[in-house]
Amino acid sequence: MSADPTADESADGDDPTVEMAEQAKADEPELDRGLVEAWAAKMISNPDRAYRATFYVATIFFLVTTLFPFYWLLVVALTPRNNLSEVGVFLPAGFNPAAFIEVFQTLPFHRYVFNSFLIATIATVAVLLVGSLAGYVFGRLRFRGRNAMLLLVLVTSFFPPAAFFIPLNRLFNTNVDVLRPLISAGSLYNTPYAIFIPLSAIFLPLSIFILMTFYSQIPDGLEDAARVEGTTRLGALFRVIVPLSAPGVATAGVLTFISVYNEYFFSSLMTDGRPGSWAPMLEGILRFQGEFEVLYNLMAAASIVAVLPVAILVVVAQEKIVSGLTTGAVKE
Amino acid sequence: MSTDTRADEGGSLLARPLNWLETQSEEVYAYVLLAPAFLLLAVVAFYPLIETFRFSLLADAVASADPFGEFIGLDNYVDLLTGDTNFTQQFISVSTTDSFPFVEFGAPFLQQALFVTLAFAILSVLFETLIGFGQALVLDQDFYGRRWVRVSIIIPWAIPIVIQGMIFFLLFNPTIGFGTEFMQWLGVFGDNPLSSSSDSFMIVLVADIWKTTAFMALLILAGLQSIDRGLYDVAKVSGASPWQRFRYITLPLVAPALLVAMLFRTMDAMRIYGLIDATAGCETVPSLTCLVIIALQNSRRWATASAVAFLTAVVISAFVVLYLLALRNSEGGVA
Repeated sequence: MSADPTADESADGDDPTVEMAEQAKADEPELDRGLVEAWAAKMISNPDRAYRATFYVATIFFLVTTLFPFYWLLVVALTPRNNLSEVGVFLPAGFNPAAFIEVFQTLPFHRYVFNSFLIATIATVAVLLVGSLAGYVFGRLRFRGRNAMLLLVLVTSFFPPAAFFIPLNRLFNTNVDVLRPLISAGSLYNTPYAIFIPLSAIFLPLSIFILMTFYSQIPDGLEDAARVEGTTRLGALFRVIVPLSAPGVATAGVLTFISVYNEYFFSSLMTDGRPGSWAPMLEGILRFQGEFEVLYNLMAAASIVAVLPVAILVVVAQEKIVSGLTTGAVKE
Repeated sequence: MSTDTRADEGGSLLARPLNWLETQSEEVYAYVLLAPAFLLLAVVAFYPLIETFRFSLLADAVASADPFGEFIGLDNYVDLLTGDTNFTQQFISVSTTDSFPFVEFGAPFLQQALFVTLAFAILSVLFETLIGFGQALVLDQDFYGRRWVRVSIIIPWAIPIVIQGMIFFLLFNPTIGFGTEFMQWLGVFGDNPLSSSSDSFMIVLVADIWKTTAFMALLILAGLQSIDRGLYDVAKVSGASPWQRFRYITLPLVAPALLVAMLFRTMDAMRIYGLIDATAGCETVPSLTCLVIIALQNSRRWATASAVAFLTAVVISAFVVLYLLALRNSEGGVA
């Protein structure tokens, strides 16, 4: 008995081809076939249909695998805490939208998210400013040592953050008397500086590269015209080159913002994790792993809250992200 | 001199350096503009890298206020490479034996950071390349709603690492997630996968593939779209099958973009830390970066941690050199 199904299957596989060959010769009308058989025959007679079908299956598969985890996060967030052990795959065990309010009551989660936003914004501005100057130089000026210096910038992005961390940690924990009027503790640990300074440097090379590519495409004539009109060199950069490369600047900005907002290594190590110490959003999410019980539904709700800004950014700026990632790599 | 009066209006504090800049040669101007970038890189990257190397040559001073002791040369590296560091998680711990298979692991395979990191980097980049190629081929088609398919494929790439970790932490939490049950039904996982090294390794691998495949897909897509469509028409007319078109047109022309994408991904995969920290924890799946943090936080062995950190950089550099050689060969082959 067990051999029968396999025999049937092989017959299914063979028959249509043979029949198709016959059909092609004799141009017979459609024979009485099973559904699967008819489908297989159609696929073979028309390979484009088969590719089309594979394409749809693949698309749906990719959509489900990338999006389902987010849906399930929502399922967990909406499940009341007492029912969490019964949470299903597709439907929450109960309905508790209040979790999204509890997130802000149990912890000052808004403060964590604000900290993350502030750090990411400062880092983005710093990277765009410093990166614009460097991108302009590498993209438009000729000078000795250009290639060596560009290589030096790119090489930095190869190294793991761990190789920078130990001396930086020591440096930021040192009390510097000069800083005392500015920062009460006198050291940079537990301040936004301790996170955005290293992150600005780490994500700077990518932005320099993107900006360099865009700035080098502006025709020389436009810059010369601005100079003849009496603008200073820097004026020409910020009044002509940068505005004309707005898409490139936006690309570098979006990528830097997302990268800094998403970063884990320095973000988790440069503060003590309290919201008042400028701890970023990731500490907030991990804090729901409380002392007495783990608040799984709040972890899920907090994750959704924190993921929304980036998700919106991706929808709004997807072209920028795609072009930024690809200029960063393909042009090299 | 109309420029002078203009500049004076801006205030002399700003005007003087700007005027000075106007009078310099292009070369000097270039160096001045590069100064902020290199200052930032020097403080955050160059100086720390040198310091890390200097620290790694000192002895651990666990008890004293200053965590570094006297100069001991390469002893820290020797200890790391021979498995004598007194950690549960080793950098590498292999010895040779007389009988087959001639090597012996002193510590369990998945407690050796070098192997965990290499296995993770190779497997994740392999799967991400294969799946990313699939996604790129889908996105290369023209169809209704392509924009939205692309958005949903990119979104995992753009989410914070901690949230990626949370998703998989919850999915494989035995009381909440269905992941554990499902994997047990397949007969793969034990009761508490997040505290078993081999199960957690798989979870981390899947989580990374889920998040970063999109990056590979986008870079491969850019490679695909730079191919001249006319080549396919010529091949079609000559009677090439779809497989032949893929094998002899798509693959060789995408190869350079593919290798660059793989280089970026490999470097990134070898730095893995956050995902592990947010799911299974560094003790369960010790990557190279994890080992640095374990040495720092659990035992306050700063010098050993510095040696691990510097070795991590060396291992990654070795990979970069390998890739660059491969890239040069592939470009030479095409041209």
